[in-house]
Amino acid sequence: MMQYWPLMLKSAGTTLWLSWLAMLLGALGGTALALLRQIRFAPLRWVVIGYMEFFRSIPILIVLFFAFYGVPLLLEVDISPFVAATLALALHASATMSEVVSAGIASVGRGQWEAAAAAGFSWPQTMRHIIAPQALRVILPPSVGVFITTLKESSLASIIGYIELTRTGLLVRDSTGGGFLPLLALGAVYFVINYAISQVGAALERRLHIGRRSDLVGAMA
Amino acid sequence: MTEILALDGLVKRFGSRTILDGISLNVSAGEIVCFVGPSGTGKSTLLRCINGLEDIQGGRISFEGQAVQGNPSAIRAVRKRVGMIFQHFNLYPHLTALQNVMLAPVVVHKEAKAEVEARARALFDKVRLAHRINAYPAEMSGGEQQRVAIARALCTNPHLLMFDEPTSALDPETVGDVLTVMRDLALEGRTMLVVTHEIRFAADVGTRMVFMDQCRIVEQGDPRAMVAGAQTERARKFLGTIHG
Amino acid sequence: MGYSFTLRTIYPYFGDLWQSALNTLSLSLLAIVLSIALGALVALMRRSALRPVRLLGAAYVEVMRNTPLLVILYLVYFAAPEAGVRLSSFMAALVGLTLNSAGYMAEILRAGLIAVPPGQFEAAQSQGMSSAQVLRHVVFPQVFRTIYAPLGNQVIAVILASSLATAVALDEVASWMQTVGSSSFRFFETFVVAAVVYLVLCQSVNIARILIGRKLFPQGRRA
Repeated sequence: MMQYWPLMLKSAGTTLWLSWLAMLLGALGGTALALLRQIRFAPLRWVVIGYMEFFRSIPILIVLFFAFYGVPLLLEVDISPFVAATLALALHASATMSEVVSAGIASVGRGQWEAAAAAGFSWPQTMRHIIAPQALRVILPPSVGVFITTLKESSLASIIGYIELTRTGLLVRDSTGGGFLPLLALGAVYFVINYAISQVGAALERRLHIGRRSDLVGAMA
Repeated sequence: MTEILALDGLVKRFGSRTILDGISLNVSAGEIVCFVGPSGTGKSTLLRCINGLEDIQGGRISFEGQAVQGNPSAIRAVRKRVGMIFQHFNLYPHLTALQNVMLAPVVVHKEAKAEVEARARALFDKVRLAHRINAYPAEMSGGEQQRVAIARALCTNPHLLMFDEPTSALDPETVGDVLTVMRDLALEGRTMLVVTHEIRFAADVGTRMVFMDQCRIVEQGDPRAMVAGAQTERARKFLGTIHG
Repeated sequence: MGYSFTLRTIYPYFGDLWQSALNTLSLSLLAIVLSIALGALVALMRRSALRPVRLLGAAYVEVMRNTPLLVILYLVYFAAPEAGVRLSSFMAALVGLTLNSAGYMAEILRAGLIAVPPGQFEAAQSQGMSSAQVLRHVVFPQVFRTIYAPLGNQVIAVILASSLATAVALDEVASWMQTVGSSSFRFFETFVVAAVVYLVLCQSVNIARILIGRKLFPQGRRA
């Protein structure tokens, strides 16, 4: 078992890289969706809300299956497990992040918009200089929770054969002749990474002096 | 006069801090005992020890001739016969005013619902809230909530009523309504223990005033006489500053 | 780009879909009920007077919230036989899902308990209620009010998470999509069908939650 630790740690890096990339894309997509929701045009808002509700009402696993098996048939392109996993995780994260970002923007009072308008700021200027810095305080802590969820969800990439942390754990189990110790070690690696990240999140929350928003964070995966 | 409550050398400590330091007191049926004194001298804690919301570290409590301290079933028996009114009302927010009043008689005393409801409705007349019977606590003013809390305490036909600073959390304009109800109860001859900062109420309605300071009873006696001129310097000073 | 959407090819598999959807539903329902019970136990542990019990409760929650469900499922599925317990796919999925969900349920219930002010316990005790009566008539209704919304979210989370049971070889909706898709090469169609099943399940929970909530908690009834 001991000789496999370097392998496990290396694949933990793969998992972190995959989750980070998906989170980044998800955060960008989620922010774009949240900004679209700001526009006072009802059909557009319905589309955004529909997108969010859709991805919050279907399991990420079937999105992953579709991205890996379905999209190549549909578009006649080859999609690697890595691309499929990144795509599925990012789509899912973007739906959650758009909710988080919307809540952040909503947390900034109307008075700020009015003050900025009175001072002659344009909409993009107001967003960039007045609203975003204040909203970020509210957005950051739950984003850490979304990242943890994404990291846990990234384990599903093992089902379509991408060799990340979970798949490596299963391979180690096979090559050491079974036993549940490799799986226990696998769980421990995930726990240590996520627990460390959650502590960073908690510290961030304390720094920013805001109440817990764990209701947005508590997604199972 | 039959003795209802006897406290003998009551001691209450929180960790190393002493809250009550040897309190002895006998209360007879029909007495209205008002506890006054500076904040943090253990008046509220004293009431909470009597119905077992706080445990005690020394002394004896007996209620209607039965020893109470350290005996869970005796404590429950006391609680069934003692009504308590809290500073912050503590009404049950998920129940209407009427349901608040009816809960304990039905659940604890196993009385028939129809009987309890008839009695409860009469109590709402008494506390002048017949029109608020179906309101939820969140929809009522503090004064209204406290009167519901009084009706709730009365509905179990208690032998003793304990008021823990009943008007301290109220807006000034609703204090009068609550005190009026308490006056009515006094006129009925109820036995009452009242922790209060309303010295005038204590002087008008109380049959005995107990002045507490630094965890002890410093002086007790006729309320009017004490307000006019207490024996001890401390009581005189306190009653003087509050009253003037 | 010659792909045309047609459900006809996968009609023959709709019988299996029914069975798979039933598996998804029964697995989710059982896991929800059991994880509420286990979660309540853990939430009470976290309020215990004994420090080791409190710590154990907290550790349970942290482990479950920070470990992927998939890894927990594999542990249950592969480890149980080595401990001498042979679990069917359904049982392994149920155990894993329940253990994981209980970590979240415990937090939801704990937040509900914290939201009941101490004065409520005191008022109920001072009226002579037994501990059971206090819980039943005063504490539980108030906890229920607080946890109602997050509980609904968790129910949906469990339904979605039940899809991972496919990894321990249970035939549920996600595995239906995968197997039927790969034997008919109609992945787009099977995806749409599976998505509709999950959407219907989750949105039914959502709508039921809103309607029941309106009935149970009219205005003014809030603390």
